[in-house]
Amino acid sequence: MAEVKYLSEHYDKKEYRSLEGYKKHGGYEQLPKALKMEAAKIIDEVKAAGLRGRGGAGFPCGMKWGFLPNNGEPRYLLCNADESEPGTFKDRVMMERAPHQLIEGMLIAAFAVKSHKAYIYIRGEYTGPAMILKQALAEAKAAGYIGKNILGSGFDCDIDLFIGAGAYICGEETGLISSLEGYKGQPKLKPPFPAVQGYLRKPTIVNNVETLASVVNIIRDGAQAYRKYGTEKSPGTKLFSISGNVNKPGTYEVPLGYKLMDLINNECGGMKPGRSLKAVIPGGSSAPVLTAKECENASMDYECIASLGSMLGSGAVIVIDDSNCMVDVLSTISHFYHHESCGQCTPCREGTGWVEKIIHSIVHGHGKAGDVDLLIKVADNMKGRTICALADAAALPVTSFVTKFRGEFEYFVANRKSMVKPNGANLGDAHVH
Amino acid sequence: MSTNTIPCTINGKDVEVKEGSTIIEAMKANGVEIAHYCWHPGLSVAGVCRMCMVEIEGNPRLQIACNTQVVKGMKINNTSDKVKDAVKWTLDFHLINHPLDCPICDQAGECGLQDQYMHYGKYEPEMAEAKVKKHKVVDLGPRVVLDSERCILCSRCVRFTDEVSKTNELGIFNRGDRADISTFPGKPLDNNYSMNTVDICPVGALTSKDFRFRQRAWLLKEHQTVCTGCSTGCSTKVFFNKEGLFRVKPVYNEQVNGHWMCDIGRDVYKFVNKEARLFDAKVSGKGTGAGNGLGAEWILPKRAALKVGETLRANKGKGVALVLTGQHTVEEYDALLGFFKNDLGSDRVFHWVNTVGGGPESLEAFDGLLLRGDRNPNTAGLKESLQKFGIKTQWKELLEGLASGAITTVVVAGPENQTFFPDFKAKVVELSKAPRLIWLTAGKNLDLDNLTGDVTLIPLKSYLEKSGTFVNHAGLRQKIAKGLTIVPNALSLTEVAELFAGREIEAAESCSSIGVGRVQNEATTVRGSL
Repeated sequence: MAEVKYLSEHYDKKEYRSLEGYKKHGGYEQLPKALKMEAAKIIDEVKAAGLRGRGGAGFPCGMKWGFLPNNGEPRYLLCNADESEPGTFKDRVMMERAPHQLIEGMLIAAFAVKSHKAYIYIRGEYTGPAMILKQALAEAKAAGYIGKNILGSGFDCDIDLFIGAGAYICGEETGLISSLEGYKGQPKLKPPFPAVQGYLRKPTIVNNVETLASVVNIIRDGAQAYRKYGTEKSPGTKLFSISGNVNKPGTYEVPLGYKLMDLINNECGGMKPGRSLKAVIPGGSSAPVLTAKECENASMDYECIASLGSMLGSGAVIVIDDSNCMVDVLSTISHFYHHESCGQCTPCREGTGWVEKIIHSIVHGHGKAGDVDLLIKVADNMKGRTICALADAAALPVTSFVTKFRGEFEYFVANRKSMVKPNGANLGDAHVH
Repeated sequence: MSTNTIPCTINGKDVEVKEGSTIIEAMKANGVEIAHYCWHPGLSVAGVCRMCMVEIEGNPRLQIACNTQVVKGMKINNTSDKVKDAVKWTLDFHLINHPLDCPICDQAGECGLQDQYMHYGKYEPEMAEAKVKKHKVVDLGPRVVLDSERCILCSRCVRFTDEVSKTNELGIFNRGDRADISTFPGKPLDNNYSMNTVDICPVGALTSKDFRFRQRAWLLKEHQTVCTGCSTGCSTKVFFNKEGLFRVKPVYNEQVNGHWMCDIGRDVYKFVNKEARLFDAKVSGKGTGAGNGLGAEWILPKRAALKVGETLRANKGKGVALVLTGQHTVEEYDALLGFFKNDLGSDRVFHWVNTVGGGPESLEAFDGLLLRGDRNPNTAGLKESLQKFGIKTQWKELLEGLASGAITTVVVAGPENQTFFPDFKAKVVELSKAPRLIWLTAGKNLDLDNLTGDVTLIPLKSYLEKSGTFVNHAGLRQKIAKGLTIVPNALSLTEVAELFAGREIEAAESCSSIGVGRVQNEATTVRGSL
C-alpha cells in the first residue's frame, strides 16, 4: 500500500475549488442521489461503512447521527472547522482545495439527520480558507444546492459560515456550540449531550470537516467499496498532517492502518540527513508521545495507536529527531495548553499554568529536585477531572514525555542544561509571557 | 417535581432520596458532608470547582455530585481514600494561586477554602513558582469590592447576576489562570441585590464595603429575625457583638425569600444601632419649668409612660388621638388599641401611611424579586388590628380635629425606621400643632428634639429587642424573637400600654446586651493589645 488519492483525488487541480471545476470532476452528483434515498438509509450506509469521526475522538459517525431524539425539535448540523490542535492542518487543505466537497457532504449529512440549518464553524486564523468557503457557499446557493427545495426534492437546508475568534477550546464541540451561540467559548457540562441539547438547546450534530467530506465518497461508492480501504475497525482513508523533522512535511492521504514508518520514510522522504528518529507524536500535541522503538511497528489506525497508549487523534503526526531536547518540546506544548485553557474548571485552569511554570523553571536552569515527580503528580491529578478533555490533552503529553524521556528531564534539573543541546539557544524563551 | 423516592446507598448507608435529585442534593438531604464551591442550591449547576467529586460503584472515573443524578440502587461514596486524595488535589489547585492572606481577609473564619483545608488539606504546599498576579481592591460598584487574587472563579456571582437579579453586570474575562471577574466598562455592579454576591462568594474575593475590616467573623453572634425593610418580610439574621450590630444576611426561607434578600434590607441594622437611638424619655414644656426645650427633663422611660398614662386616664381620653405606623408587631397594636379603645374609650386612631417615592399606588409596587413599595413589615397586621377594634378613620379627620381643637393630645407610635418615612419632618410639623404631643420612638431625631411646647419623647424597643408577630403582604404571620438588648430602658408598645393603664411591668428577661459606647473586644482583652 502507498499513498492513495481517494478523498483527495482532484486536490491538485486548482479548478476543483470552483463549482464548475468541482462539477467537472463528478461533483454534486451524489447529492441528488442522496436526496432520493431515505434518510435512515443514508445513516445505515454511513454506519455500515464504519466511518469514524476524523476530528480526534474517532467516534463512529453513523452512531452519533442515530443519537438524535425524535421529538420534533429543530436540529442543527455543525461542521467543526476549528482545526486548532497543534500539528493538524488537513482540514485547511480540504477547505482550500475542495470547499464544495465539504458542502456536498454537509448537505447529504443534513438530509440524513433532517437538519435544515447547518453552520461551518471555522477558526479565526483561517482567513484564507474562510474566504474560499464563503465564495463556494455563495456559488452553491446561487446554483440551488443550498436553500429552499434543493434540486426539487422538497428538502430545505441553509448553510452559514461562522468565523470564530481563534480559540483551541472552540474545537471542543460544546465549546464550539457556546461560541456559536454568542457566548464565551467554554465547554458545557455533559449531560445533556449535544445530540440531545446542543446549539440553542436543540438536538445538534457536530462533525469534523474530513468526516463530512468522506460522506460524499461513501454515498458514491457504497459502504462495501469504502471498506476496501483501511482496517476492519478503522475503515477508509485518512488525511495525515505530517510536520517536524522530515524532508517532505505535508498532508498525505493514506488508508488507515498504514505503517507509520512507511509514512515517514516513503511519503515524507525520511529523516533529515544525518538525523535519526527520536520520537513521534502521532495524533496532535495532546497525544502521548511514542518513542522511536514504539514507532517501528506502529500502524496508523485507531486501535494500533491506542494499544501503544497514545491516540490517533486528528492525524497530526509530529516527527521529532535526535537534535531535539524533549524538555524544550514539552515546554512548547505546555505553554500552548496553559494559554488555551478556558479557565472554567479548577484543575485545568490552575494545573496547566503550574505545569508550564515547573517546566519553564527547569528549562531556565532553575529546576529543583522533585520537580520531575511533581510534574507527573500534577498531570495525573488533572486527568479526567474537568468538564472537557483539555485537561487530559494538557496532562497526557506531560506524563508521556516525562515517563519516556525521564533521563533528559533529570539531566536538565541536575545539570541546569539540556542533555541534547548543551550549548543550544536559550530554550523556551520564546514562550515566556 | 416528582415526590417519589428511590433507594440508594451513600457511604455505606441505605437511604431513600427524592427521584430526580442530584447526588449533592441527596447528600445534603441526608446530612452527609460534601465539599463544594460552585454549586449553590439557588443557582444553576456550573460543575467547575470539581470539589464535590464522588466515587460511584461501577464507574472507574470520579464523578461530580452536582451534575450527576441519582439512579436506583446507586452506590455513592465520598469518604474513600481515592475521593479524599482527589479533593485534596483539587483544593491544592484552588490554592496555588490564592494569596493566603487570611490574616487580613474579611472572609477568614467563614471561608470555604479554610474549612476544606482543615478537612482535606493540611499538607505542605508544593507550588514553588511565582503566583499569578491579578487585580486587588477592584471597585465593582457602590457596595461590593473584589480581590481577584482571592477569587477561585466558581462563577456563583456571575450566575447570580445572570439568573437571579437578571442584571448581568458581572462576567469572567480572559482565559485560563488569567481569568478575572469584572464588570463591563461603565456598568458597575449596582443593583438592589448586589450584596448577595458577597454572601454566596465562598472565599474572600467579594467583600461588602459596609462590613470590610470592621469585625472578624468569629467575634460576632447571630440572631435570626425578620427583615423590617418592606412588607415582604424576608428571613434574616443579624450579626452583632458588644460593639453593636454589623451586618444582616438572608436566611433560607422557601415561603418568603428563598436564599436572597435585597440591599435595602441590609441597611436595616443601622437604625437599630445605639448611635441612632433615643436612650431616655425627654419631657419638655409645661410643668417642667423649661418652656424652650433647653431645660428639658430626662427621665426613665417607665416613669414618663406612667406619668403620661395618669394624665390620659384623668382626662378620660378626652381629645386624645393615637397615630400608628406599620412598623410594630401585632401584639403591640392590640395592647395599645386595647388601652385606647377600652380604657379611654377613644376611637381616634389614625394610620400614618408612608410612601417612598410616588403616591399611594407606589405601595403596591414590586420589583419582581423581593422588594415591595410598602416599606413596613406589618401594614397587614396593623390593618388587621384596626379592623378587630372596629376603627375606620381617615387621616383628614385627625387634621380637622387638630384644626378645630377637638383633638388636644396626640400620641404617636413613631416609625422605627425613619428613612422609609420621607414625610417624617412634615408630619412632625403637622402633629406638633397639638397642644400636647407624646411621641414614642426608637430612633432619635433632631426635628423631634427641637420641638418646643408640651412634648414627651419615650424611647421604644427595636424589632430585635422584643418578641412578636409580623404579618407580611401575603398574610403570612412570622414570629420574631427578642435577641439582644441595645437600649436597656426602652419600652415596647405593649409595655407602654400597660404603663399607660397604670400597671407595673415585669423586669425584662436577660439578653445579650450591646454596651453603651465603645467596648474593647473580648478577644483583645484576653490576648492583650498588639
